[in-house]
Amino acid sequence: MAKKKPVMTVDGEIQISYKWSLGKAGERFFTELRDNKKIMGTRCRQCGRILVPPRIFCEECFVEDMEWVEVKPQGTLLTFGDSYFSTDGKRLKEPWMLGIVRLEGSNGGLIHFIGESSPEDLKIGMRMEAVFKKKPEGNIMDILYFRPLKD
Amino acid sequence: MPKKVAIVGVGMQKFEFCKNETVEEMIFDVTRNALENSRLSKDDIDAVVFGSAVDAFCGIHNSDKVAIDASAGLLKPTMRNSTSGSTAISTPILGYTHVASGLYDLVLVVCFEKMSENESAQAVFNTVYDEAFVRPIGLNVPIQCSLEAREYLNRYGLTERQMAKVSVKNRGNALSNPYAQLPMKLTVDDVLASPCLSWPVKLMDTAPVTDGARALILASEDVVRELDDDPVWVKGVGRGADSVWFMGRSNKALGRLDYAYLAAEQAYEMAGIRNPMADIDYAEVYDPFTYKEMQHCEALGLCPEGGAGRMIDEGISLKEGDLPVNASGGLQGEGNPIGAGMSRLCWCYLQVKGQAGACQVPKDVNTAVANGWGGMYQYNAVMVIGRD
Repeated sequence: MAKKKPVMTVDGEIQISYKWSLGKAGERFFTELRDNKKIMGTRCRQCGRILVPPRIFCEECFVEDMEWVEVKPQGTLLTFGDSYFSTDGKRLKEPWMLGIVRLEGSNGGLIHFIGESSPEDLKIGMRMEAVFKKKPEGNIMDILYFRPLKD
Repeated sequence: MPKKVAIVGVGMQKFEFCKNETVEEMIFDVTRNALENSRLSKDDIDAVVFGSAVDAFCGIHNSDKVAIDASAGLLKPTMRNSTSGSTAISTPILGYTHVASGLYDLVLVVCFEKMSENESAQAVFNTVYDEAFVRPIGLNVPIQCSLEAREYLNRYGLTERQMAKVSVKNRGNALSNPYAQLPMKLTVDDVLASPCLSWPVKLMDTAPVTDGARALILASEDVVRELDDDPVWVKGVGRGADSVWFMGRSNKALGRLDYAYLAAEQAYEMAGIRNPMADIDYAEVYDPFTYKEMQHCEALGLCPEGGAGRMIDEGISLKEGDLPVNASGGLQGEGNPIGAGMSRLCWCYLQVKGQAGACQVPKDVNTAVANGWGGMYQYNAVMVIGRD
């Protein structure tokens, strides 16, 4: 096949920093996570669903009738992924793992790193627990990762 | 009563990596091609709708403004639509509503995406996720799809081998498509041996990064007979959108696309289709990853729920099969310029018209269905087209 003529380009970049507000629900969630190592959800008083991540309204009942509840830092692995490529598409020697964990006592959960295990150790439906950072800062990385629950 | 709406022509161009044309030049190319194929000129077009998914791919924010001159839109009503990957079908649905409403007789729809010019398409994808809960974890599309595919295979007992067969079929079909980026003659073992991106998704289960555009022209029943004595009508449209909070929403079963089943039900009800397996002659379904073709065949009722593995095993979706799927090569073989996945609908049109060239399937095609998918396991859009 004939080699394609290189495309003539002009180079540039878009580099813009942001400060995103965490919002009414996010502020409470990340404050409790930072100060008390607690994972909080909001319970809809109409349908009883406990939302994690918490929100100030229930999208199904469409009401702002919520109360704050603590949920357990343990739950069920709904699914997981192990990837050999970094977020920006670079090849890795060792895979990194993400999972979605439904937290006990809630109808929701978190997507987070999976640690202290290899893909072969994991199974959909197994129980997991959160491992917290020693010096929390008020962001989602205050949970370092989830690991298989040790009895 | 909505007016009946027909597709009267499509505009095609080659899908490739690193096109030398600008976004504007790509749009001009497919617009001119669609006008020629419909025997129309710029001034005949009443209004234009554009679709593209994520501006950061091409690095031009509000990229719709680039499309105005090149899409016959100069000094006309124009509007941009964006629903992630489902832009591919929600944009022609927006065009359909423009005409069905009676406001316009001839509407041009153009979808485009230029994905090769950024440093990393996957780094762009990371910016579509929630900033506080998801983005810091470093999620990108291959691992997003790994989460979904693992749950899907586990739920229905499907296999990597069945996924691989979809890649072999679609890349093989693309050998007959002059616009295709990645035609390949592969074996199942080639696919299974290709580098694992994120289990169960291998490199050869994944559509490439692509630059490209597609256009089509929609006409109202009032003017279509002057243009085409055998019109291909838009028979049904449907859309579904689920919550972005996939970890909290009621349907957490990523393997079952409730929102896609809903979109299909709407489109089939409007089209009067009760049994899609019997009533649909041909399908082009959204297949950025091989398992997505399988999920979409199920949601569109082209096989029973959980039956997509059997569908590919039994050869039903092959070009010569009873219900061919993606005889063009799909996104796997033709390329995947996200919004320009409208190509799926363009190929349905070409199949119904008998103009699909070497991709034409060896059976009568009167009714065809196309879909688009996108977002955080969220959006689906479906369109059914066909003869009276």
